[in-house]
Amino acid sequence: MAHEDRAFYDQLAERGVTRRGFLKFCGSVAAMLGLSETMAPTIAGAVEAAAGSKLYPAVWLNGGACTGCTESAAQSTYPDIAQIVLDILSLNYIETVMMATGEDADKALYQTAEANAGKFIMIYEGTVMTGLEGNTLRVAGKTGLQFIDEIAPKAAAVVAVGSCAVDGGWVKAAPNPAGGTGISMYLKEKGIATPVINLPTCPVNPEWIVAIVIDALLLGGIDENGKVTEGLVSKLDQFGRPSFIFGQTIHDNCPRRGHFENGEFVYQFGSPEEAKGYCLYPVGCKGPQTQTNCPIVRWNNQTSWCVESGAPCIGCGNFNWVDNGAPFLGRMRKIGIGSVGAQGGGWEPGVLGAIAGGAVVGALAVHGVGMKAAGRIGEGPATEPMKEYDAKRAKKGGGN
Amino acid sequence: MAHKLYREAHPMPFVLTHWINLLAMFFLTLSGFYIHFPIFPGFMGVARGTHFFWMFVLIINLTLRIVLAFVVKSANMPDTREVDLDIKNWLPQAANRHQMIPWIKYYLFLKKDHPISAKYGVLQKIAYLATIPMTFAAAYTGFCLWGPTSDWGFFLAGTTWVADLFNAGGGASLMPMRILHYWIMWVILIFTAAHVYLANIYNFAPSKMIFAWKESGDH
Repeated sequence: MAHEDRAFYDQLAERGVTRRGFLKFCGSVAAMLGLSETMAPTIAGAVEAAAGSKLYPAVWLNGGACTGCTESAAQSTYPDIAQIVLDILSLNYIETVMMATGEDADKALYQTAEANAGKFIMIYEGTVMTGLEGNTLRVAGKTGLQFIDEIAPKAAAVVAVGSCAVDGGWVKAAPNPAGGTGISMYLKEKGIATPVINLPTCPVNPEWIVAIVIDALLLGGIDENGKVTEGLVSKLDQFGRPSFIFGQTIHDNCPRRGHFENGEFVYQFGSPEEAKGYCLYPVGCKGPQTQTNCPIVRWNNQTSWCVESGAPCIGCGNFNWVDNGAPFLGRMRKIGIGSVGAQGGGWEPGVLGAIAGGAVVGALAVHGVGMKAAGRIGEGPATEPMKEYDAKRAKKGGGN
Repeated sequence: MAHKLYREAHPMPFVLTHWINLLAMFFLTLSGFYIHFPIFPGFMGVARGTHFFWMFVLIINLTLRIVLAFVVKSANMPDTREVDLDIKNWLPQAANRHQMIPWIKYYLFLKKDHPISAKYGVLQKIAYLATIPMTFAAAYTGFCLWGPTSDWGFFLAGTTWVADLFNAGGGASLMPMRILHYWIMWVILIFTAAHVYLANIYNFAPSKMIFAWKESGDH
């Protein structure tokens, strides 16, 4: 690093973080952002320059949320390097953990939006609750939708944290009486053009918020005028997800992938195969169809993640993940036809296929018996002397 | 009614493409079932390799078969060595006109005589021609699931469309596409069951011709 800010490293030391640990962290962020590791000092320099000197205004709005994403991001019991980066955000409004209450809290929200119009980040957690004209979620005498309508158009960008904010998450699962949907879908419907960065999974991984903060605020993803640059937009896929995080399936990077290829599977929990750490595919792992970099970044300060701790991936990074992923310990989603079978959890797709196939084979067998009884087997019946159509026409005295 | 079957009905290139189709379907179905659920251990790498290999074989074979239809001549009616360009025998022929209802009546035992047929009957032609979009649909949905191609715009659009169809706002979830790909196999299996039954219900002469290129009937 070109320069060293002693105060910054003292701040790190207070949190039990060494300079080496910090640089390693910056290297992993560089890798996640798809940058060369040689960019690590640049990231470190940007964080160092920003920490304690610049504060980027942000507000954190909660929709229909369990606050799991807040918990995940806060990691309050273990302040780590990620926290130092997140401290760069001046979170002027975050319902779950802010000191202010009542009107003061509301004032902080609207003042931030007014004073920094077009230059602040709106982080949105939870489902957008559209049911009962938005009355399925009311805060401070207003619907959740009103908050979005007032704040989102003024933000430079919206960061949707967690699957609920991305597309409604588990709240949206059928029959969805709350009318849950995602923030990008809602903004599109309302014609609000603020760009949305989608960070699915339940809850969101704080490392991804850190990556976005660094990329958007420190590496120029959002320019000085509060405009999202082409550079940042080009890193998002068509669903607004950063492709450096959500570009590959869990299966692609799974440490158990070798067992999958070898055909070494866990068929039952508690079995010797499970103890050997075999692949969890037959017990419903959704890793092959879930696109996140969980196996690389991992969770809880890079300690572990679902599959590493022995559980099949339940696909929480997927779209409409509960409807598509349930039953979580089954290979495929079960199917109900209309209301038939839906209440009982539906049928395996293979059962429906086998019923249709069996019915056809049965019908053919019955038909075969009929063919035999009609004496058609062998030489078969005589071919009609002329087409029925022609015979009818001839009877009527018509031509061809 | 029993037809004389001459080699002109199925010229050698079509005997070969039919054999390749059969082998590809056989291996794709078995390996696909295993990938759907690995009922015994130790085989996944082989199953996937087998699936991908025969997938390419099937697509190339089908494409080749379609091209050959415009090049090779085949018998234009049953009981004849008279040939026409193969594609003409696949499209509706004069003898097919007005014959859909009589065929349905015949198979439902509501009509005694065997309806007049062209190279193939009306229902037969519909079923055979349907195998083309069906096979391409299996290939398309397979590419939507396959890692190297799943994020191509052409395939991602289908994945999103199918997910939306299954459960509004499904995004790009692969699960509905996985189920659709699996069900297409069942449709192909159902076609195969009906095809095998109808081709051999009178006698095995058609099978002798298509597999062994052996003529039957009076020559």
